[in-house]
Amino acid sequence: MKMQREQISALREGALASAGLLVGIVPWGIVAGVAMVSAGLTQTQAVAMSVLVFAGTAQLAVLPLLVAKAPLWVMVATALVVNLRYVIYSAVLAPHFEHLPRLWRVLLSYITVDGVFALFAGSYRPEDGNPHKHWYFLGGSLLMWCAWQLSSWIGIFAGAMIPREWSLEFASTLALIALLIPLLFDRAVVCGALAAGGVALIAAKLPLNLGLLAAIAVGVAVGLAVARLGPRKEEGRV
Amino acid sequence: MAGESWFVWALIAGMAAIAFLTRAVFILPGSHLRLPPTAERVLRYAPAAAIMAIIVPDIALVQGALSISIENPRLVGGLVAFALAASTRSVFATIAGGMLALTLVRQFAG
Repeated sequence: MKMQREQISALREGALASAGLLVGIVPWGIVAGVAMVSAGLTQTQAVAMSVLVFAGTAQLAVLPLLVAKAPLWVMVATALVVNLRYVIYSAVLAPHFEHLPRLWRVLLSYITVDGVFALFAGSYRPEDGNPHKHWYFLGGSLLMWCAWQLSSWIGIFAGAMIPREWSLEFASTLALIALLIPLLFDRAVVCGALAAGGVALIAAKLPLNLGLLAAIAVGVAVGLAVARLGPRKEEGRV
Repeated sequence: MAGESWFVWALIAGMAAIAFLTRAVFILPGSHLRLPPTAERVLRYAPAAAIMAIIVPDIALVQGALSISIENPRLVGGLVAFALAASTRSVFATIAGGMLALTLVRQFAG
């Protein structure tokens, strides 16, 4: 009984700590919803995407490619690249959750989002043996999940009523711009991104959107080179 | 749309698998691996490079040809959005400003 009460209290604590993130996630959900239907998804497909994929950046990144009729594998590869940050989160979270049953680890993997990860990684160390920290993580993540789904659905149903002439599919490109700015945390990543943009333009004529993949490869290489040349500076953000 | 339906479903399935696997890759096996700093750099630089590589052709190319001109509505909208995103950090201001610029250029330069 006491155990159960502590779990619920950790769940609530996580949700309360994450409540501040709602301001950030709700506009994204609405934009992603509108952008999905503007890119040609049916309402059913858009709802399925927001539930099954549950990765806003990947969803927004793929939509301009869908409109441009890119091949399937290029879009899936792009989703993989923009989701690579989750690999870092996964490595950080793994020691916290290793003792949990498999089903818990599946659930917590599916529901991981940037904001709650940052809060959790800031509040807990792997070595502190708090037995309820996964409830804290789940509380925050569930709140984000519900907010994302509800705001996406608002966007999906509102988006279906907006006339095509408004070119709202451009909103996903604009949303990507808003997403990109906070990612540019140091000089190396800025140089890498600029190089990637340049290569993407030059190589736009390559078949199968290979230009996009070439641009990513060059961008990463330039970023690494600049980081190696530049003064040693620790970047603290995830 | 109906003809492309399988394509969108395949895309959703592929993305769902990617979204799950990138998050589960260390959590599910309960791995204790510490990422080496270079690997972590690559994982951080790649998303920014990918997003930029999607944005730039989308705003600077018109029917496949480079169009650096004040009469290109998407370029103007995109640049306005960049300025707003950098100065306000507001999603709403970025999208609203970008859409407004797009519409104005379409009205007056088209």
